Amino acid sequence: MTIRKRGEALTGMNGQTIQLLGSVLAIAAMVALAAWARIPKPCPPLDEESVRRRLAVEYPDDLVDAVWLAADGAGAISRSGDRALVLARLGDCWVARDLPWASALTSRIRGGRVRLKFNDPAAPRLSLAVSGVNPWPPSEPESDPYG
Amino acid sequence: MTLDPLKPAFDPVTLAIPIFVLTIIGEIVLSRFGKIKARYEARDTATSLLMGLGSSVAGLITGGAIFAVSLWAYQYRLFDIPMAAWWAWVVIFFLEDLTYYVFHRVAHERRFWWASHVNHHTSQHYNLATALRQTWTGGVAGTWLLWIPLTLLGFPPAMIAIQKGISLVYQYWVHTEAVRRMPAWFEAIFNTPSHHRVHHARNPQYLDSNYAGILIIWDRMFGTFVAERDEEPCRYGIVKNLGDFNILRVAFHEWMAIGQDLARARSLREMAGYLFGPPGWSPDGSRETSKIIKARWAARQAGLSPESPEGTDPTPVAP
Ligand SMILES: [Zn+2]
Ligand SMILES: [Zn+2]
Repeated sequence: MTIRKRGEALTGMNGQTIQLLGSVLAIAAMVALAAWARIPKPCPPLDEESVRRRLAVEYPDDLVDAVWLAADGAGAISRSGDRALVLARLGDCWVARDLPWASALTSRIRGGRVRLKFNDPAAPRLSLAVSGVNPWPPSEPESDPYG
Repeated sequence: MTLDPLKPAFDPVTLAIPIFVLTIIGEIVLSRFGKIKARYEARDTATSLLMGLGSSVAGLITGGAIFAVSLWAYQYRLFDIPMAAWWAWVVIFFLEDLTYYVFHRVAHERRFWWASHVNHHTSQHYNLATALRQTWTGGVAGTWLLWIPLTLLGFPPAMIAIQKGISLVYQYWVHTEAVRRMPAWFEAIFNTPSHHRVHHARNPQYLDSNYAGILIIWDRMFGTFVAERDEEPCRYGIVKNLGDFNILRVAFHEWMAIGQDLARARSLREMAGYLFGPPGWSPDGSRETSKIIKARWAARQAGLSPESPEGTDPTPVAP
């Protein structure tokens, strides 16, 4: 490689590095602006009615037997036959997944949150806050309407 | 002006970057002061913009090889189409846009290519930042091969690259909720925010529609056009939305899911289905393709569940 070519390659490299740095700074500025603006979608805590409304969209063919709300309203686990339909807040939006009801009942609780696992690389885990008021798993009559 | 047929004189996307930044800032600030409709969430915005940055880095890595292939193919061209002729630009405008339509349709309807394109649809937001949520794996997915016929026809590789860039820049501005409808004549011919909102929507009736790049005429011609209806607001994202904002998950989740399925496949037929079937294909039909989702929706609308043609099943209807 001649000296001139090496010089050109280095300038090219530097040019790209500067472009990359500039892009990172611009991204940081735009993200900061988005945070400052406080213009998310309205995403109030869930109540039973809003859970049912949302599940009617996500799982329109499933009947919801019982609803368990996360302590902070940022999620819910609903029983539909032998399945658990899960809603969890992500930013200002909701994510829905389902798993066998039995697996939901035996999901681990750590740090005050029930950790639900899914066999899905798009959402391998979702966690919902539990509390004394809203313990997980729910008490018997609610958890087993067929029992 | 002399135009080099082999080396693009300029890259429309690079030139447009300052416009991208300024208009995103504009959309956020105007929405902040209640002047326009736009929703931003900081982490979602960060994910979109980092995907855009990653996409251009990936482009640097694979772009050279892809361009080299088109230079190689250009040797075998049928005609010598002059880059300086105005009519050549008119023809490539239409042919490139038709190619984009085909690419985009394949990218939605066949899982292997969906795995690369899905990331563009992973945001539940629809704003100018969403436009920059671009693929990292397009080079690997090989959809760029669809543009090679234009090279073989005799369009100079530089011309195709410039027209592809123009198309990408055009498609940027349609990613907004701030524009409700353009004038009717414009909505009839061009891809618009309204048409592309439908494309990003996960409402069953909106799935797999409006694949347009610049011109919406292809969707109208090939039966994939769906108009936005005000009484059915778009819910953005994918059928099963992502569980977090991790950009690696955005870029690779569908590839990982394909890998999982292939590892479980019991025959070549199953492998082919998992790779090249429609997204949501499964050997036993236990998952939902968009065709099934649409059929179930249509059945619910008609008051019938597909499982009970007699109409006895009181299936709840989505609001
Ligand atoms: Zn698309
Ligand atoms: Zn888009």
